[in-house]
Amino acid sequence: MLTKLQILSGAARYDASCASSGSKREGPSTGTGNTSSSGICHSWSDDGRCISLLKILLSNDCIYDCAYCVNRSTNPVERASFTAREVVDLTLEFYRRNYIEGLFLSSAVMKSPDHTMECMVRVAETLRTEEQFGGYIHMKIIPGCNSELVRKAGLYADRISVNIELPSQASLQRLAPQKLKSAILEPMALIGREISSSLVERKASRKAPRFAPAGQSTQMIIGASPETDFQILSLSQGLYKKMNLKRVYYSAYVPVTDDSRLPVLSAPPLLREHRLYQADWLLRFYGFTADEILSDDAPHLDETFDPKTAWALRHPEFFPVEVNRADYATLLRVPGIGVLSAKRIVSARRFSLITPDGLKKIGVVIKRAKYFITCSGKSFEKPDQQPALIRQRLLLSERTDASVSTISHQLVLPGLYT
Amino acid sequence: MNCYLYDGTADGLLSAIAWILEEEPDPEKVKLSERKDTLFEEGFTISTDATQAESLFFRLKQQAPDAAHTLYSFMLAEKEGLETSLLHYVFLAFKHGDKVNGYITHSAVRDIVHIAKKTGRELHRMKGLLRFEKLQDGAYLAKMEPDYNIIHPLAFHFSRRLRAQHWFLYDVKRRTAARWNNGSLQFGGIEQFTTPALSEDEKKVQALWLAFFKTIAIPDRKNPRLQKSNMPMKYWKYLVEKQEE
Repeated sequence: MLTKLQILSGAARYDASCASSGSKREGPSTGTGNTSSSGICHSWSDDGRCISLLKILLSNDCIYDCAYCVNRSTNPVERASFTAREVVDLTLEFYRRNYIEGLFLSSAVMKSPDHTMECMVRVAETLRTEEQFGGYIHMKIIPGCNSELVRKAGLYADRISVNIELPSQASLQRLAPQKLKSAILEPMALIGREISSSLVERKASRKAPRFAPAGQSTQMIIGASPETDFQILSLSQGLYKKMNLKRVYYSAYVPVTDDSRLPVLSAPPLLREHRLYQADWLLRFYGFTADEILSDDAPHLDETFDPKTAWALRHPEFFPVEVNRADYATLLRVPGIGVLSAKRIVSARRFSLITPDGLKKIGVVIKRAKYFITCSGKSFEKPDQQPALIRQRLLLSERTDASVSTISHQLVLPGLYT
Repeated sequence: MNCYLYDGTADGLLSAIAWILEEEPDPEKVKLSERKDTLFEEGFTISTDATQAESLFFRLKQQAPDAAHTLYSFMLAEKEGLETSLLHYVFLAFKHGDKVNGYITHSAVRDIVHIAKKTGRELHRMKGLLRFEKLQDGAYLAKMEPDYNIIHPLAFHFSRRLRAQHWFLYDVKRRTAARWNNGSLQFGGIEQFTTPALSEDEKKVQALWLAFFKTIAIPDRKNPRLQKSNMPMKYWKYLVEKQEE
């Protein structure tokens, strides 16, 4: 059991999602577990990522041969599979001791997508019906499986996700020839439809079954294929708008195999992943669109500045912003003012004018915001500074951060993408 | 400026605030502190009245539920020296309702909200970091040493989560305990604590968890600094996965 767990959790660690939020369920009185809408982290692993779910594969015995994956069929790793009972017992033992918030179940493709999905659904079914488990369940959908199984999974799980893996059809064909774009997007669309119809039904009757109440998410690998950040962000924007996804996860490519189709990296492109997440937040919470952040002429995110500061430097005509009068949406566009401080500014203005000192106490990052705001008409810096000068001064003030030294450049071998 | 004193208990503090809000024309000009019986202490002592305290909290809950929640969280911190701020905060809460928490440019509001946030944060953290151990008789026990006195709301959280289980929470520093059994929750103090024997399979499950904890981290992305900032070392004492360090 111990080695099995090591093999199958080690194989699952490249799945980025660990969210346990977005679902609120009262636990059954005779069973175990409930979910909390804010989500709860139970531990943080040595790489600093939070652990809230027992994240494992049901099996790593894969018939597919995707170049970027540890579990591809031609890779000589040790293979193992859990039985449904083993996963159920492990989940319950961990849950009773408050180690976890629930289960994250994924799997390599055994025999066929349908067979694999059936085994996974059986685990969730046993947990929910036999054991009356009320905790969180996140299930991966195996692309290409029967849509009836997708529906069943959605009824038992809080969140379901289909991994998009690579940002374009061409890359998918090169690196994961057995996976089809259509097989990934079809279940996504189906899940989207089911979630919205379940929401409508539940408005009519509270007894209507819930379908994946915490929504659906997806994940793609960054740096294993040649797509630009602009392509990736446009794709994410489409997924959020058209498929109603809750989250898109980006996972910096960690070389796990030496396949000639893959780029050679000195280290995982962590800074690129970080910048993409920042841009993703701009899409979801700050009212930006992908073509405001990037364009065909500048298709990559700036490594030295976060995407919002980069946008602000390109748009001097938008600034300065008067903090005592600007509306919420405008405040959000100021570097150094986040969602929380923008909300605080709006509510604090009801009581009195905000002073520079008050701004600091609200939590605005003054060293970044000071070039872009005025406070009751007074500016912090000399007005009308050239963007190039602001750029330099911002750079100087950020230099103290240790993060600058950890930039890892992607090394692409010539002639690789022909 | 008028100075008032109270006896140092939570009830005393709330009933003093209730009295001042009733009698003083401008509570923002009043100071309130704990009575220490020193020679040069000045001020009028307000006697403690539990029903007054309760009715104050009840009224606040009706008029400004968010502010009442902030007050509750603040009291869990058992913080001394902020009585005057709390008085001003409650006064402003009755005046402005729930919007008061947005008034963070006011120093009293900021002090109280700041402390309340800290206890709220620790409560949320403990919901995740608490570890139960299975005992020989099938009950579960979790020991903890939180900075703030959060055993009540924490036990309430687990009473909705681990309903079918018989469990105990034990706050080692404050020597208080909570017990959940067959649908009822009880609180009490513990004079002498002896560690009960663990169930036979407990060590096995702990070993499984430790193995999972170790393999789930991506070796290429090791980041102990981030780990520590998310999970401060003061909580490691009772974490199964951090025992060997």
